[in-house]
Amino acid sequence: MAKIIVVTSGKGGVGKTTSSAAISTGLALAGHKTVVIDFDVGLRNLDLIMGCERRVVYDFVNVINKEASLKQALIKDKRTSNLFILPASQTRDKDALTIEGVQAVLDELKESFDFIICDSPAGIEQGAQMALYFADEAIVVTNPEVSSVRDSDRILGILQSKSMRAEQGKAVKEHLLLTRYNPARVETAEMLSVADVEEILAIPLLGVIPESESVLKASNQGQPVILDEEANAGQAYTDAVKRLLGETVEHRFLDAEKKGFFKRLLGGK
Amino acid sequence: MTETCFRMKGTTLTSIVLEIIDFDPDVFESQLEAKVASAPQFFTRSSLIIHLQKTLSATEFELLIALCRRLQLQPMAVKGDVAELRPVINDLGLADISQSKTSDSDINTSTADAANQAEARQTGAKQAEVGKNTGNHNKTPSASQVNYSAPEVEATPVVPVLKPAKVIMRPVRSGQQVYAEGSDLVVTASVSEGAELLADGNIHVYGTLRGRALAGVKGNNNARVFCQSLDAELVSIAGQFIMHDTVKGECWKKPAQIYLEEDTLRIEALV
Repeated sequence: MAKIIVVTSGKGGVGKTTSSAAISTGLALAGHKTVVIDFDVGLRNLDLIMGCERRVVYDFVNVINKEASLKQALIKDKRTSNLFILPASQTRDKDALTIEGVQAVLDELKESFDFIICDSPAGIEQGAQMALYFADEAIVVTNPEVSSVRDSDRILGILQSKSMRAEQGKAVKEHLLLTRYNPARVETAEMLSVADVEEILAIPLLGVIPESESVLKASNQGQPVILDEEANAGQAYTDAVKRLLGETVEHRFLDAEKKGFFKRLLGGK
Repeated sequence: MTETCFRMKGTTLTSIVLEIIDFDPDVFESQLEAKVASAPQFFTRSSLIIHLQKTLSATEFELLIALCRRLQLQPMAVKGDVAELRPVINDLGLADISQSKTSDSDINTSTADAANQAEARQTGAKQAEVGKNTGNHNKTPSASQVNYSAPEVEATPVVPVLKPAKVIMRPVRSGQQVYAEGSDLVVTASVSEGAELLADGNIHVYGTLRGRALAGVKGNNNARVFCQSLDAELVSIAGQFIMHDTVKGECWKKPAQIYLEEDTLRIEALV
């Protein structure tokens, strides 16, 4: 039975699409047949991050409107087997998404995939609600700053009241993914710590992705950052995927790197 | 567009059942007067269901109602032996509930309702105590404070149909609003900034209260807000409110309760 996971945040620019690309790639690398759907109709981005922007012919809205078959619209990832992308339409808006339409597409995808990752648009309106409505699990992407935390809190409230599982009296399994984490700035109290965010949101921590130049580089190259095995961010996403699959992996990159002498002196990790 | 001018809802209310075992006007009057005098605050203006276990004549019945009304009780319905009395009941503006389904007759003996009964006695006792020490702040009754003896109201089975508290086991998130209508509200998790709790009764938060908490929204001055860690944006009791800056006193981020004392909200540490 396919699992539907929404990647959401409320706030924009926190790393939903980057995380969707990385996590879906990670799941596919682990051997699970995965599809990642861009729900950001009108502001299509996932195709860029996945590096398949020139291969988009049909999109999600075409499939909903039965102008194309799912098979025609799905783009097979060139780097990772088992991975498919369903891009958003750039010429429509969020109203093109209907509950029935989305459900029909998801039902069809469920038959042949293990994981369906829904990359939610920012906000709490139609697009975001469609992305989370059918979710079994939710990855809430949060930056360590107050406005992002509050928006994540808001979206958690919506998950608990407006998702299909909530309407059926069941819970959506929630995961916290803290991105753009900079331990040095946490130490100088410029940034909220993992503990601060966990205390406010009170949901299990899936992973902490350190702020890293490699993320921007990977995005611009159209290559999910998880494929960059050298980068801290890539490794952190790999850990997060393992946790999502039920493994217990210790959290890394939570402390500022201290160099040489100081590192030994302070006993830093 | 026409708006609907009414809504129909079910409700339950606490009332006293006055069982008429025998009726001699003089004896009845003096006994009832004594009973009411034992806890005037409790009995005054309380609604009354008359349960006729003895057949009364129309005149007797009218007298009975008049006596009750003189003592400021509010008879509202009649059950039991009402056969001959229907026209009078009607004339007096009372309801005949002899046909209605009721469940109170066994309550005295039913163990399941023991808790309810205990609560009933507490309520009675609490009310009586308030009556005696007028002006005193109405303290939440704890076992030691409650004076059971005063109106351990031998007969009158006051069976309050308590509306159970609304219990929320998950965090209340930013943008969510929870209203406990006619009852207390209990949250066993934290309440986020931007979330709002409303209750006609008390509010208990067994987590951090970062959002807004409005207790006694329909004007209950005795309502209180209790929380494990006080970090609230706003706390209000019966319309009186304090904002974050005021809340940020010595009980900041500590277990605390907030209550109303002579129109002023007081914050007190819970030790």
